[in-house]
Parts: sequence; C-alpha cells; structure tokens
Amino acid sequence: MSATANRSDRRLLERSRYRLTPGTALLTSLIILVAIVAAFPLLWMVLSSLKTPQETMTVPPVWLPATPSLDAFFKVAGVVSLGSSFINSAIIAVVATVAINVTSLMAGYAFAKYEFRFREPLFALLLATMFLPPIVTLIPLYRMVSYMGLTASLAGVIVPNLANAFGIFLMRQFIKGVPDELIEAARIDGCSEMRVLFQIVAPSVLPAIAALTLFAFVYHWNSYLWPLTVLQGNTDAYPIVISLSRLLSYNRGAMNTGLVMAGATLAVLPPVILFVLLQRFFVDSVVSSGVKG
Amino acid sequence: MLRKQNRLAAAMLAPATVLIGVFILVPMLLTIWLSFQNWSTQTGFETARFVGVQNFVDIFSNSSIGRDFKTALVNTAIYTVLSVVLILPLSVVLGLLVHQKLAPGGVFLRTVLFSTYMVPMIAVALVFSKLYSPTEGPINQILGWFFIPPQPWLSSPKTALVSVVLLNVWQQVGYFTVLAVAGLTQIPDSLYEAARIDGARAIERFWAITLPLLGNTLLFSAVIAIINSVQVFEPVALITQGGPIDSTNVLTYHIRRVGIERAQGGLGSAMAVTLMLALIVTIVAVFAFARSREART
Repeated sequence: MSATANRSDRRLLERSRYRLTPGTALLTSLIILVAIVAAFPLLWMVLSSLKTPQETMTVPPVWLPATPSLDAFFKVAGVVSLGSSFINSAIIAVVATVAINVTSLMAGYAFAKYEFRFREPLFALLLATMFLPPIVTLIPLYRMVSYMGLTASLAGVIVPNLANAFGIFLMRQFIKGVPDELIEAARIDGCSEMRVLFQIVAPSVLPAIAALTLFAFVYHWNSYLWPLTVLQGNTDAYPIVISLSRLLSYNRGAMNTGLVMAGATLAVLPPVILFVLLQRFFVDSVVSSGVKG
Repeated sequence: MLRKQNRLAAAMLAPATVLIGVFILVPMLLTIWLSFQNWSTQTGFETARFVGVQNFVDIFSNSSIGRDFKTALVNTAIYTVLSVVLILPLSVVLGLLVHQKLAPGGVFLRTVLFSTYMVPMIAVALVFSKLYSPTEGPINQILGWFFIPPQPWLSSPKTALVSVVLLNVWQQVGYFTVLAVAGLTQIPDSLYEAARIDGARAIERFWAITLPLLGNTLLFSAVIAIINSVQVFEPVALITQGGPIDSTNVLTYHIRRVGIERAQGGLGSAMAVTLMLALIVTIVAVFAFARSREART
C-alpha cells in the first residue's frame, strides 16, 4: 500500500465524514457488539424484573418475558421497606454531596489563590488520603463514631463523609483557572472572602461543581461497607443498597428472582439518571484528574 | 499581608482539614497504634494492652489465624493482578474504539461503558449472581451456542475468584476507558501523519506511537486499578462469603470479619497495616518499573 493512496483515502473520508467501506462497516459492527455486551447485564436485570416467577426459573433461561408485568415492582416494596430505604439513601447522598461541595470549594479556593505557609505539604498530605483504602481506617473509625454516640444512626453514616480529598483537588484545579482580576475587583468592592468565593468564584466553576455533585452523589448512594458497619442492624436507617442485599436472602430457594431484579432496577435508577444528565461534566473531570494529575 | 493570608487560609481550610484529619488521618494513626495492641473492638481504646509485634507474628503464623490471613493476602494479590492485566489492555482497545473518527458511535459507546460505573456494586453483584447461575443463567447458555461446556462460575473454588474479577472488570472498565481516551487525545495527529508518510501500517503506528505515548495514562490507570482492587467487598460479602473453601476470601472482607464481626481489633489492625504496607510497596514498584522502561526507550 503506497503512502499517497493512503492519504487520498484519508481525504475522501474527511470529505464525507463517515464513508461506507468494509473497514468502517466492520468497525461499526464491533462498536455495536461491544455496546451490547457492556449493556447486557443491565438489560438482563430489567428484563428479569418484568418476567413472571416461573419464567425466571426456566432452564434454559428465557430471554424475553412473554407478558411483561410490573408485579415484581409492587411486591418488592412489601418485602423490604423500600420507600424508607430510598429516603435514607437520598438523605445520606444529598447531605454528603452538599457538604463536600462546600468544604471542597473553601479548601480548593485557599489552595488555588492564597499564599500561606506549609501550603504544598498540607496539600500533598490531604491528597494522599485519596489513595487510602477505607478498610485501613474502618476498625478505629467504628469505635470513634460510637464514642460520638452516632452508631446505628444516619448521622453516623454521614458525618465522617463531609469532606474528601478528591473534591479539594478538583476544585483547586478549576479555581486556579479563575482570573485573579475578577477576585481582586470583588474585594475592592468590599466583598468578604466568603462572598467572593460563593458569589464570584463558585459560579465560574460550575462544571466542577456539577462533576463533584455527580461523583459524590453516586459514591454515597452506592456506598455499602461503611453503612453496613456503622448501622449495626438498625433496619430503619438502612440505605437502599443494604435493603437490596437483604432481598437476596429472601430469594434463596424461592421464586423471587424477579423481586430482586425489580429492587436492583429501582436502586440503579437515581445514579444512572443523574449520570445521563451530568455526564459531560463527569467525563471532563475524570479527564482533568487523569491528565493534569 | 502574608499574615492576613495565613489567617484567611486557616479559616477556609479548617472545615475540610479538620474533617479529613479527624475521620481519616487520626483513624489511620490509630490503626497503626492498635496493630501493636491486644484490643477488643467492643471496648474503649483504654482497654488496649501493648503486645509488641505479637499480632504480626500471629497473622503470619501457621495457626488458623495465619492461614486465613495469608489466604486472603494471596487471593487479593491474584485478584489485583488479574484485574489490572485485564482492565489496562481492554481500556486501551475500548478507548481506541471510542476515540476513532472513522465510524460513528464512539460517544454512544462511551456513555454505555461509563454508565456501568454508576451502578451500585451491590446491584452488580445481585445481577451477576443470576447471570452466572450454572443452570438458569444466560452466560452458560450463550457458551453452549459456541459448544463450550457449562462452567461452575461462583460455585467452584477453581473459578469463583476469576468470576468475581470478571464482574469487577465489567463494572470498572468504563472509567479506565475514559482515562485512556483522555490520553489518546493528548497524542498529536502530526505524529501519525508523519508515520503514515513513512509508510507505517496502522498496527506499526500503534506500537511505535500510541502505546509509548500512553505511558503516563497507563501508569495512572494501573495505580488506580490496584487501589480499587484491594477494596473489593460487595460481591464477596453478598454472594460467596469468602467461599467456596476460602477461594474468594479477600482482604477487605477478611479484615472486616476479624476486626468488626469477631471484634479482634488488634489482629484486624495488624492486617490493615500489612495491607497498607503491601500497597505502598506495590505502587513504588510499579513506578520504578515504569521509570526503568522509560529510561530504556
């Protein structure tokens, strides 16, 4: 294959964006195939939630429910207290997300725009905590939270998660890009530093706030290890992921696969919907944490 | 001026620094301290009794405590290596599919891949426990279409750990694909253009340009993949409880079982400290490996 031929191929491609050649056809089929494989477990989950109990037990498995029904969704609410679990998860995720945004904006602003002693070592120390697996701190943290009288309560789940290093890192990266003149002008107008931060700086880093909101919400909606440890069997405070895990024990030996899949489908919805709404910012933030970090 | 900035900085930093200090740094130091103590998690810290390195001797001894811990350590190491070895090449291949401009669908594929990363691990574990079901699950059915015999997946000690790895790879690969795409966009088109003029074929361009220039991205991905791998908990807690025959007993699960459920806080802390040291050594080794490769090329 000569280089000139290759380049003219390239020009042709560029003229009509996508040109149907055997190569692009193959590539397109490959993309579709990969997407189907990647989406398959979630498709299976939704399909199973619509099956009758008999259909979920068939050998070999049937793929499509003959008469899709929402029965499992109505029944699952009766087996575990799904409604209150949803509310618990929402409280945990929303409170943690709001707090993480506020604490990260404040600390990120200081690291990005202030000169102070020990700035770099302090930043490095905080950043290092990002790489510490939670199991390393789990045992003493469990005892510390019980000293604070927060065991078996939602507060016990939330309070240790009001700040995190990733948020500080993300905010510092974005706030560095805010022009100093903008901040100086607001200061000359007599704004306090808090007003500068929340009325001038925060609106100009909205993409970072959107990304951190998504990241923190999804992380705390999905979080399992810490709530399971700190809640100590207080079922009233269980978030949806723990209630979901209890569904599996109802499932043993019974025809309840549909129920489990219906519960899983419901639990998956909030983070996935938020992701679809905010995915542009999330992807940008992953990119910036990977490239600049 | 500097003094005023110091004061302002302290006020801005206080909430995040105090929270991270109290809830991450202090417990980390306590874990190190507790690893040298005999202490029940059910009692206050004041009941801790100094025992020197006895906990570390115990967890590496040939008693049942030691055997269980060493099994969990080895399982976690196998799990981590398998995850990294599968995730990194997959992320590059999928990244190329997302990044390429020849056929439509790249952004759509990215959305599909990344959305799996949003799904709670508990839901992933529930769904895969059904997918893997030897008789009622669709995976063995699909294998059957290609005349591959049914596999026991989670129910055999030989295949259970690998099954958990595959579940984890499915959930995480979208995140690493996005990292790979970020790396790919950093490579200047002019390099490919020049190689093309020199007559380099696509596969040669990949080995000569793409892979070397993805070095930093892959290093970052490897470190994150390693740290994520040692945190695997939900599928083990939910489906296998460490079994069958301890084949999926991994460190996060084992440390929680010993330190919280059995309330052996000292032993659990010694295990956590060992995990932390192993992680530091591994990451330093990965960096040293990356640097030595860089020096050679």
